[in-house]
Amino acid sequence: MSPLKRWLQQLREYEDIAEVGGIARRYLAMNAFDGVLTIIGVLVGNYAAGVQSARVVIFTGLATSMAMGVSGFWGAYFTESAERKRDLDDLESYTLTDLEDTKIGRASRTAAIVVSLVDGFAPFLAALVALLPFFLTPLWGNIYRSYYLSLSMALGVLFALGAFLGAISRENIALTGVKMIGAGLLSMVLGYLLKLFGG
Amino acid sequence: MGKIRRLVLDVLKPHQPTIIEWAKQLSDLEGVDAVNLNVYEIDQKVENVKVTIQGKDISYEKIVELIQENGGSLHSVDEVVGGALIIEESITLQDYRRPGD
Repeated sequence: MSPLKRWLQQLREYEDIAEVGGIARRYLAMNAFDGVLTIIGVLVGNYAAGVQSARVVIFTGLATSMAMGVSGFWGAYFTESAERKRDLDDLESYTLTDLEDTKIGRASRTAAIVVSLVDGFAPFLAALVALLPFFLTPLWGNIYRSYYLSLSMALGVLFALGAFLGAISRENIALTGVKMIGAGLLSMVLGYLLKLFGG
Repeated sequence: MGKIRRLVLDVLKPHQPTIIEWAKQLSDLEGVDAVNLNVYEIDQKVENVKVTIQGKDISYEKIVELIQENGGSLHSVDEVVGGALIIEESITLQDYRRPGD
């Protein structure tokens, strides 16, 4: 068996032992949702403030996305590590053996890293997708087109997330997708009200 | 040197990895022909398993290593059969009970 195949088999084994799948899916959906809504806030805020430079929007958006990624990774790593260490200590009190250097210990530590990576990359990538049109602003030369496309892409990501959750819970994926878009639209409306009241 | 042909062990293990995974790993060991895992007690976090292993040349050390690697602990070795043949326990007069005992 090749080293890569062996490594993947080991990951699958750790996934079975540590039951990472459910937690990772939850973090993926929750944090991608946070990432998209945050970037919608950044975009609507820039729009309301009358920012005409794609460069400003890109830098603001990227800095925000990266901060979300770091926050997601860091927070999840320490939280998940603490919880899993507690579970391992609890199990050790039953088996009366040291489980640190066993498959169970390694699965536990791997799970914390996997979940942290999902928690970090999910909001970062979701926000990046929404920002993509601004990178292409020189193609059409109209900042407002970039704003509208970006916001549309953000809504598209929200729909995809909703559909993903609908697929997991075996509900109507179109309906769950539309429900998620509702949150995005509400954020846009609230942000736009700033422009109206702010002048 | 004599060969171990059968081992019966009493093991305490966490629920994960499952006995299915244990059976696959134990039967993959060199010298092992077959394994039988029987859960005879279970609670919230752990289960007690009677592990029967049969083969042509079983390595006790590798079995213990595998048990520990999977988070289990060996409580006792309940039966060992070694040699060229697999023989069962011999019944003696002491094994018979008189009526009223």
